[in-house]
Amino acid sequence: MSNGLKHFGTAILAIVAALLLVHPAAAESTLDKILSAKKLRVAIDVANPPFGVLDKSGEPDGSDVAVARQLAKDLGAEIEFVQVPSTGRIPALLAGRADVTIASISVTTDRAKAVMYCNPNGALSITIFAPQSVRIKVPADLVGKRVGITRATLEEATVPKMAPEGTKIVWFDDLASTVQALLSGQVDAAAMTAFAEKTVSDANPAKHLENKLLVTTAFYGPIVRPGDFELRQWINTWIFINTQNGTLAAIYKKYTGIDLPPLPTF
Amino acid sequence: MHYAFHFNVVWDHWRELAEGAWLTIELSSLAMVIGLALATVCAYAKATGPAAVRWTIAAYVEVIRNTPFLVQIFIIYFSLPALGISVDANAAALAAMVVNFGAYGTEILRSGIESVAHGQIDAARALGLTRLQTFRHVVLFPALKTVFPALASQFILLMLASSVVSAISAVELTAVTNSLQSTTFRPFEFYFVATGLYLAMALGFRAIFGAIYWSVFMHGQRS
Repeated sequence: MSNGLKHFGTAILAIVAALLLVHPAAAESTLDKILSAKKLRVAIDVANPPFGVLDKSGEPDGSDVAVARQLAKDLGAEIEFVQVPSTGRIPALLAGRADVTIASISVTTDRAKAVMYCNPNGALSITIFAPQSVRIKVPADLVGKRVGITRATLEEATVPKMAPEGTKIVWFDDLASTVQALLSGQVDAAAMTAFAEKTVSDANPAKHLENKLLVTTAFYGPIVRPGDFELRQWINTWIFINTQNGTLAAIYKKYTGIDLPPLPTF
Repeated sequence: MHYAFHFNVVWDHWRELAEGAWLTIELSSLAMVIGLALATVCAYAKATGPAAVRWTIAAYVEVIRNTPFLVQIFIIYFSLPALGISVDANAAALAAMVVNFGAYGTEILRSGIESVAHGQIDAARALGLTRLQTFRHVVLFPALKTVFPALASQFILLMLASSVVSAISAVELTAVTNSLQSTTFRPFEFYFVATGLYLAMALGFRAIFGAIYWSVFMHGQRS
């Protein structure tokens, strides 16, 4: 009888042990998944020069893309680009279509409510520019003017706050449309990064575009899904190493033409 | 993957969503009425006009039906200022939708017109009715009745396609949704609700078209 019970107890223990063995110890982290699949999915925005563009053969290029390629290489993973418009940079990440977004996404407290920032890997300025003939000297001059901005960008987060009441803000879904609206005269002025402004001005000398107002300067960094602490820590380590060895500065200089300012950490 | 849904954010912005949905309804309805008038004129001219007119209309219909709506919108919005015409995004969107619906409507009406028995047209002509009178009194009404379901479907497609006019800064439902999701970072909540609103609008319009069909074409009909 007691022998029978003992056997029964042993059998139960064996079954429990077997269940414990086959059951995964804990949910796999995103970093574990990347390492075991040897594939890193990076959301990028290729309509945002000089951070993300398509080169002549249609391949992604730009400073964000160069950073992403180097990061994947050092991680020992094959890179898979997930091309998104500016409005898709956070949704693609949250929907699990990408493991990380590297798309010059400026650090703001509002965005940090939805995603986790890694340490900054670059800096950018938002400026308002317009043809020479449009008179804008101070923010008050924006009253009555149509100012084009792109959704889901730092300009969307800052321009409406600095523009005086009476400014007609016009929203576009991507930078290309904002630029086209400025060039075609559908808006009087447009806000974008100083780098994008330079690209547009250089490509259209006949329009006599000039810088009018500095809106803000901000740092940008990679973003990961909330809770992906392991991946964030690895990327921060990567940013630390590549700040020290000059790789980030070299990439930044190559694509923007200016020196990378000292990068803060948090 | 974990995602915590926060639908209360959506209700905080119901007014903006309602305004966006209303602009979608306004743009679509206006484009339907003006586009249908355009289509009727084109279908009439294509059926009875001289060769040059017929070819011009055929070219218009084929160009519009075989190019993407988004491209048509961009061309209208970005090229108008070059012609010295200053219009805001909503007007440009409406123009693009009218041109688009006009082309599809022409083709739909043409099939309706061709379905009217030739004997009826001959009879009308024999009674001394002019071409225009024949078209108005003998051809148009039965033609419209035949193609009404197809026109209604095309209208629903137009309303759903209007979601791309956010690309030229018209602030309809999709534009509002894009703005709200990009400032609140709650994409799924807002896209779910926008999907629901489009579905509701499409079903609502279907019901309205059903009522129109019944009251205009079926009500009081003896045969």
